[in-house]
Amino acid sequence: MEFNFSKEQLSFREEVKAFIKEAKEQNTYTFMDNGFCEVLSQEFSKKMSKKKWIGLSWPKEFGGKGKGYIDKVIMIEEMLKVGAPLGYHYVADRQVGPGLIHFGSEYLRNKFLPPILNAENTWCLLFSEPGAGSDMANCKTNAIDKGDHFLVNGQKVWNTNAHVSDYGWALVKTNHDPKTYKYNAFSEMIIDMKSPGITVRPIYNTLGIHSFNEVFLDDVKVPKENIVGKMDNGFRQIMTNLDYERSGIDRLLQNASVHIALMDYIKTTEQNGQPLSKDPLIRDQIAQLEIEYEVGRLYVYYVSYLLDSGKIPSSETAVGKTFCTTYESKLVDMTMSIMGMPGLLRNGSPEALYDGSVGQSYLWSVPYTVQAGSVEVLKNIIAQRGLKMALK
Amino acid sequence: MEFDLQEDQIILKDSVKKFFEKEVSKDLIRELMENDTGYSPELWKKMAELGWMGIPFDEENGGYGGTFLDLAIIFEEIGRAAFLSPFFATVVLSGILLQNHGSKENKQAIIPNIVDGSVISTLAMLGKKGFYDKEELGLNAVITENGYTINGSAFFVPYAHVADNMICVTQTSDGITLLIVDSKSEGIDITPLHTLTGKAHDCVVNFKDVIVPADKIVGEIGKGWEYIEALFPKINALLSCQCVGGMQEVLRFTLDHLNQRIQFGKPLSALQVVQHYCSDMFIKSETSRYPAYRAAWLVSENLECKKDASIAKSWCAEAYKDVTKAAHQVTGGIGFTYEYDLHLFSKQAKTIELLFGNGAFHRSIIANEMEL
Repeated sequence: MEFNFSKEQLSFREEVKAFIKEAKEQNTYTFMDNGFCEVLSQEFSKKMSKKKWIGLSWPKEFGGKGKGYIDKVIMIEEMLKVGAPLGYHYVADRQVGPGLIHFGSEYLRNKFLPPILNAENTWCLLFSEPGAGSDMANCKTNAIDKGDHFLVNGQKVWNTNAHVSDYGWALVKTNHDPKTYKYNAFSEMIIDMKSPGITVRPIYNTLGIHSFNEVFLDDVKVPKENIVGKMDNGFRQIMTNLDYERSGIDRLLQNASVHIALMDYIKTTEQNGQPLSKDPLIRDQIAQLEIEYEVGRLYVYYVSYLLDSGKIPSSETAVGKTFCTTYESKLVDMTMSIMGMPGLLRNGSPEALYDGSVGQSYLWSVPYTVQAGSVEVLKNIIAQRGLKMALK
Repeated sequence: MEFDLQEDQIILKDSVKKFFEKEVSKDLIRELMENDTGYSPELWKKMAELGWMGIPFDEENGGYGGTFLDLAIIFEEIGRAAFLSPFFATVVLSGILLQNHGSKENKQAIIPNIVDGSVISTLAMLGKKGFYDKEELGLNAVITENGYTINGSAFFVPYAHVADNMICVTQTSDGITLLIVDSKSEGIDITPLHTLTGKAHDCVVNFKDVIVPADKIVGEIGKGWEYIEALFPKINALLSCQCVGGMQEVLRFTLDHLNQRIQFGKPLSALQVVQHYCSDMFIKSETSRYPAYRAAWLVSENLECKKDASIAKSWCAEAYKDVTKAAHQVTGGIGFTYEYDLHLFSKQAKTIELLFGNGAFHRSIIANEMEL
């Protein structure tokens, strides 16, 4: 047992901080307060790519840097503290690459891994459907075998950045025998988003921002070699995939700037001649946040440690994501409550505090406990996979 | 970072666990809750023979020079077994204070006897209100020519009724001072208190003109609170580990019950609402382990850990309490019976939550450490 970072890890953290400092000084990249995946900057991703920080934890044989997941958490932790624009490569680095390395053919790896590593393309996920949200095994998007290609028809939804993506990582139905066990009916495939037959329509979220989409697929031809892994094994693969999506520190730190604002606010705002930070009730709330943050952070590092030890976490990622997203929504809610009326002021409004970022974050926090497996779906996973509780 | 226990630690953990499984039935614990001694002298002897009492002490004082992590492992298993004994009072409260601050003579007079199981020791500190606050101590001492004279009442003194000696945290005109007092000294009157966990675990100790020789001081006059504050993070780390063991065990037997109990034609564990209770219990239990271990590791490495130890104690102890409450909710009527084991744990969980500061107490420490 050893809870220290190694010398290499400590100096790597410093290297990341220096990189960020320099990037900020260049003043050409947008550092956002929240929604880090929403800011796409190919230039920033290219800058990271030059350091080999895309694919940081992928094995060297696949072009990665071969560092550990703990190293990756260190890097992401520093990046998210300042809201660095990671959106261009984030999904591909986190999920597509590891998915291809785990399950993809040599052809797919050769074709798709290098451009991801070089920040030459950006990806979206095509999982959810109007009839398949939490119940992902209810996917209806069809892929029919036409000899040299699949013909894909269906509709996907909640696809972040699909409107700017080069490729989509999709779950489609490939086994149409009604007697097949439902979890054996799906495959994963890569779809070129410029293919004829694809229509992407924007969906505006409650902030009025276009970040996700619905994607219609009408007779889209997909080469057969774009199937990832085994035919009809897609559902199981995607569960592994989602474990990567759920395992990171991004679920804890999307609102790092809110915490910074909160700490500043309570120290600099006085009530009856005394800073709010001296109010026992506020101190108790802030300390509780600190406890949950540190507990969550340690757990995220633990999950990374499992990955570095060659274990594939499953219920652990569900624990981590449930815990961390719950913390995040509590952080923004509590910050709003402590700031009171001025916390309501939006970006651009007269008198707005911290550029209105807190209210903005509050609105963004709604889907934290929903996306990539709602808290309730994750609790099912913990009960069924982790605790082996009965299914019926 | 290395989150797993080392091989020798795993061996220790397994051996402690097996010892409790073999020697400590839940009926024995019920007996320890009900009888007048509150501990088993027979098991106390066996624990000493296994060397547990010697872990934190230097070899020159008869100890085994173990690591603090070894001690933490034992506390996790104490929690899992819901075991009751004067181990915490003797080895940690009194023993570690002596080891770290006691005079050579006092150490050599007491620690070897702690190690071989022949002495039970404890700490007399709190006043009637039970505040962990240096202004609210139960005892005061007057400095005399030959030593000290103690008056007052110390409350919630663990196992004082069976202790051979106790370290008294006294207020003096020169500041807080720690004194070692023989329990048989004239003027001492000990009455067990009936608490949540039983009839004989905490006591009120009344002192009437109790005379203590000058050489029975621990450390220096006026520095007592400094020593106590240095002990707090160690206590917090160990109690956190105790909670971790307790939570895991409560979840384990609760799941057993839910898998067996049939309602609506299926096991209770197949009901989603019940599953979500259990997931919450699992989240609390899993997220407690590493903060507790980390605090123990920091102590073990002699690193600053005031904040981290309070984070662990606040989180783990409230989590343990929450886990037992959830377990009561899903086990229904049977969980409220004396016969079912859950109450052994839920009573201890609530006790540990309050022992050495409730959540708010630790959050206040955390806020101070955050320089708020």
